[in-house]
Amino acid sequence: MSESASFARRIDALAEIVAFTAAAFERQGIAAALRTEVDFVIEELFTNIVKYGRGEAPVTIEIAAIPEGVEVTLTEPDADRFDVTRAPPVDITLPAIQRQPGGLGLHLIARLVDSVQYAYSEEERCGRVVFRRTRADPSPDATAASEDERC
Amino acid sequence: MLTMEGGGETPVMLSGRLDATQAASAQSYLDRLQGVVTLDCSDLQYLSSAGLGVFLKTHKRLLAGGGRLRLTAVNRHLQDIFSYSGFDQILEIEPAR
Repeated sequence: MSESASFARRIDALAEIVAFTAAAFERQGIAAALRTEVDFVIEELFTNIVKYGRGEAPVTIEIAAIPEGVEVTLTEPDADRFDVTRAPPVDITLPAIQRQPGGLGLHLIARLVDSVQYAYSEEERCGRVVFRRTRADPSPDATAASEDERC
Repeated sequence: MLTMEGGGETPVMLSGRLDATQAASAQSYLDRLQGVVTLDCSDLQYLSSAGLGVFLKTHKRLLAGGGRLRLTAVNRHLQDIFSYSGFDQILEIEPAR
């Protein structure tokens, strides 16, 4: 079972996304303990699209229960290629005065999920991110992958 | 939704979700404060990187004036975010009991 919905590329769509995620978790019997981290990862991916994406078509989010967890897919039409699994590293050891907030969201995604994959279709100009969260304490380094395929 | 109360001589009570939709208003609220500012996070349910950016900008401004930002009653989710981002090394953080 899975369910999906599409959201306008506006930051204030986050409230609708959180409500959709909560309802999907409940309907599919996905562990509520996973919600906070899933909300976090969806927000980081969605706001990244809103800030940097040049397209206008709505972003689709699909949520599917998997054994002991959840798989989430974000599909961005009218997309330029931007592989979120290959974002520049962030030096989290710098002192406060040298720290910048930029890039932290994508850095944190890798720490909060079990796996994350990026796919891009040149033909359709469509980007897709799929991530899985299946347990309360993910490993320190999620597996990341990217590939070319159809959306 | 995020609500913020207090400041000055009392801790700032944060309640709700500090996400990208609330970051600007949270920043405006914290921009008015000086010195050592304590954020009581006992009712802060959620924090995204937008919220981390608010905390970092505020802490850097306060440091420049001889103050700092400190957080109390930090729940497990927030602790993980602070740890994974290295913010636990630059902010004074007191876990929830």
